[in-house]
Amino acid sequence: MTMTMDTKEIILDVKNLNTSFVSDGKEVRIVKDVSFQVKRAKTLAVVGESGCGKSVTMNSVMRFLGKNSRIKADNIQFNEWKDGAVVEHHLEKIENNNDIKLRKLRGPGMSMVFQDPMSSLNPVYKVGDQVAEGLREHTGMSKAEARTKVLELFKQLGIPDPESRIDNYPHQFSGGMKQRVVIAIAMICNPDLIICDEPTTALDVTIQAQIMDLLKKLQLVFGKSIILITHNMGLVAEMADEVCVMYMGRVVEFGSRKAIFDETMHPYTKALLRSVPVLGLADGQKLETIPGITPNPADLKGGCEFADRCTHCMEACRKQEIPSFEVSEGHMVRCLLFEKKGRAV
Amino acid sequence: MSETTVSLKEQSKKSSSSLFRKNVRKFMNNKLAIIGLLVVVLMTAACIIGAVAGLDYASPDLRALKELPGGDHIFGTDTIGRDLFSRVLYGGCYSIFIGVFCAVMSSVIGAVLGAVAGYMGGKTDAFIVRLSELFQAFPQLVLVMMLVAISQKRGLGNLLVIFVITGWMTTFRMVRNEFLSLKGETYIKVCEAFGMGSGKIMFGQILPNVVSPIIVSTTTNVAFFILQEAALSFIGLGVADSTPTWGNILNAAKSISVVTNQWWIWLFPGLAITLFVLAINFLGDGLRDVLDAKQQ
Amino acid sequence: MFKYIVKKILMMIPMLLVISFLVYYGLQLTGVDPINFMVSPETLSANADNVEALRESLGLNDPMIVQYFRWLGNCLRGDLGYSFDGTSIGSIIATRLPYTIELAGYSLFISAIIGIGIGIISAIRQNGIIDYVGRVLAVLGQAVPQFLVGIILIQIFAVKLGWFPSANRVSPDAQSVVADAFFHLFLPVLTLTIGMVAVLMRYARNTMLDVLNSDYIKTARSKGIPEWKVYIKHAFRNAMKPVLVILVFRIPMLVGGSVVIESVFSYPGIGLTMTNAITSGDYPIVLVTTLIIAAVMLICSFMVDVLNALLDPRVRLGE
Repeated sequence: MTMTMDTKEIILDVKNLNTSFVSDGKEVRIVKDVSFQVKRAKTLAVVGESGCGKSVTMNSVMRFLGKNSRIKADNIQFNEWKDGAVVEHHLEKIENNNDIKLRKLRGPGMSMVFQDPMSSLNPVYKVGDQVAEGLREHTGMSKAEARTKVLELFKQLGIPDPESRIDNYPHQFSGGMKQRVVIAIAMICNPDLIICDEPTTALDVTIQAQIMDLLKKLQLVFGKSIILITHNMGLVAEMADEVCVMYMGRVVEFGSRKAIFDETMHPYTKALLRSVPVLGLADGQKLETIPGITPNPADLKGGCEFADRCTHCMEACRKQEIPSFEVSEGHMVRCLLFEKKGRAV
Repeated sequence: MSETTVSLKEQSKKSSSSLFRKNVRKFMNNKLAIIGLLVVVLMTAACIIGAVAGLDYASPDLRALKELPGGDHIFGTDTIGRDLFSRVLYGGCYSIFIGVFCAVMSSVIGAVLGAVAGYMGGKTDAFIVRLSELFQAFPQLVLVMMLVAISQKRGLGNLLVIFVITGWMTTFRMVRNEFLSLKGETYIKVCEAFGMGSGKIMFGQILPNVVSPIIVSTTTNVAFFILQEAALSFIGLGVADSTPTWGNILNAAKSISVVTNQWWIWLFPGLAITLFVLAINFLGDGLRDVLDAKQQ
Repeated sequence: MFKYIVKKILMMIPMLLVISFLVYYGLQLTGVDPINFMVSPETLSANADNVEALRESLGLNDPMIVQYFRWLGNCLRGDLGYSFDGTSIGSIIATRLPYTIELAGYSLFISAIIGIGIGIISAIRQNGIIDYVGRVLAVLGQAVPQFLVGIILIQIFAVKLGWFPSANRVSPDAQSVVADAFFHLFLPVLTLTIGMVAVLMRYARNTMLDVLNSDYIKTARSKGIPEWKVYIKHAFRNAMKPVLVILVFRIPMLVGGSVVIESVFSYPGIGLTMTNAITSGDYPIVLVTTLIIAAVMLICSFMVDVLNALLDPRVRLGE
């Protein structure tokens, strides 16, 4: 990893992000020393089981966490592309969750698509007004101008009959259509980066495919950077340029899609890939599961978090925090098995 | 086969006992709830001991009318010279009994009607819902007053019956809603498919899901009925004057001269009610934190 | 929407009929012979013939159902009948109902503003000083019997300080009607308000907390709009619905409370009228006051439905 960052190429750089929650007077670490980079106009997929901290990581970047959260990071740098030049924003230095600097970025800089479209829309306002709200906030557009923009976007997003649907309330939309509206809210201010937090988990399989196609199209046509949070390895294979595998609040493996799928290193990533159902599974070949359950973050002792479920676990694994090793250009693995092969970062 | 069932049962027993222990621990951590429980237990015990010891609450001491607290009478005496301390203890027995009895009975009635209405649906449901709406068309106090007017007797039994038949609607609504949403669950369909009787499904399979909120609402209802009795007795429509409930003792404070000159006559019973109701509410909140799955 | 309202109004009519019949029938069951209240015992024992005539003229010998419909017909024509001491119930209601409406109305209005306001601030500044103080007051406000609050207020403000009168609604020698009303209403309204605020504050706080935790609040924040807009436009609007519903729902509590409070402050409203009528067994008055209160309740529940519809497009557009 080079020390000087190409701010044109890298849109988001996160270094050693730590997020913890205070409950009953105890502080529980949920995200530990997480570092990753998102390249401009590329898709980064963040994968892991539920509860591995992938959502919390992104909510820490966007600063959507409640008052009982503590966020610390060496660097959360967002490089906005504005009028042909790069503007650097250092989000880790902003104290207040709703600081004006942050607010100015939410919408025009980066935005988020949430998991459950059913509950992400305000039930008492018309969808058109909800989409227009952000646009009018950031541009000061008139109601009529904003409406034209929203209509245009609705058409691009494939919402049928936009002229009448724009005045409907959320409850009059199906799940897939609601998610399109949520995407429209995220898209309306033309952000550089869209964070999609399991955008299809709550939807039917056929609708899932439509929404994913839509996101892919948005990326290709408009050159958006996307962070896709998911636990679906199939989606990762289809969508991602780079992959970040998380386990119990740590990035255990990070690399290009090719590196992750073809040169899988970390035992956890291997296990994860083995547990994906593949069409045409050979006779007698069994779909594997990862033994054991994810531990409770409050009960973790030192050492590798995966140690108890790992088939390669060594004595040393339980004794220390495991550093990350760069095994090849841009391919990082947090596992002692690769101590010799790569250099620690 | 039978072995596995046994071990499964054992397992569920183990896990439920550990859940129970966890809940107890959670409850013990809630200081307010513990204080509430202690106050409730201590006050109830004091009242019962006072009553069992046979304190004299009824005979007036004509030499000591409206006596200030202290000396022979630690809470003082009332307008006709009766010892207030023993009256407050006796009154506690009656008031607490009224609160507990009515809360438990109205919960039972509400739960049974709610279960029947929610599970049976159709005409039965419509009828019971109408009935509950009819009861709710009155402020409860006014309904109670009307029934007092109709029954014309101001006995304890009468009051208990009136409180119970006017107090079941909240539990009813809660239980019915739960039944409506659980009726469609697969496990209920499975029970039906196995030919389980509807009584068994209602009370053995669905009702346990609502037991926790029922316990919580019963606890807080104890406080509600105690306050209700006090209000009713205060305006002179509660239990007959000869029975010393907390409300009846406070009835003396309807006279402005008592309010002005004999503060102890209304302050001690008033404090007793407030303290007990406060303790019950803390206890109820603590139980809700422990039992309400939605908050966990 | 219009159809919905009409339907709800039509549904109230049979309900009122059933209630009025039940109340009428119930009070007949008391077996109090109304004639006892109409003439003095001496005259009653002296001339038995006149009593029979009186009975006949009052219609007390007809079957109950006939009496009920005659009474109902009279009521619909605006004739509410006479109390056992001969005063027209219509005139009693006409002077006393406005007093109760005043008392309950001011309490409702003031407690709504204070309760909802503090509740929402507590939710936004959760675990802050206002939240903490508010929670303590809410717990206390729900534990102290309302009439005891009234007594304590009388003791402090009327007896010790002498700022406010301890009873009645009008002073015979009042200089200004408004000032007179203010002084007489202050303590009873304060008493009722304390109880209501306790309930509303707690409820508004919890509702607002629920709403603030919902996903669409996150969506709103993701648009980069200022925090106050998130609270007012998105959170408040959604929290308002259940809070307004509970507010209207609590009117029965307010009415029930005012029955007791009117007794504490000897405030000559409907509640005191009813209490006295029950103690003296004056059942025409009990009947009419109960019905008025029941009608108010039905109107409130009707308002709950309409409010629900107005605030929630899902109900408004007919699901």
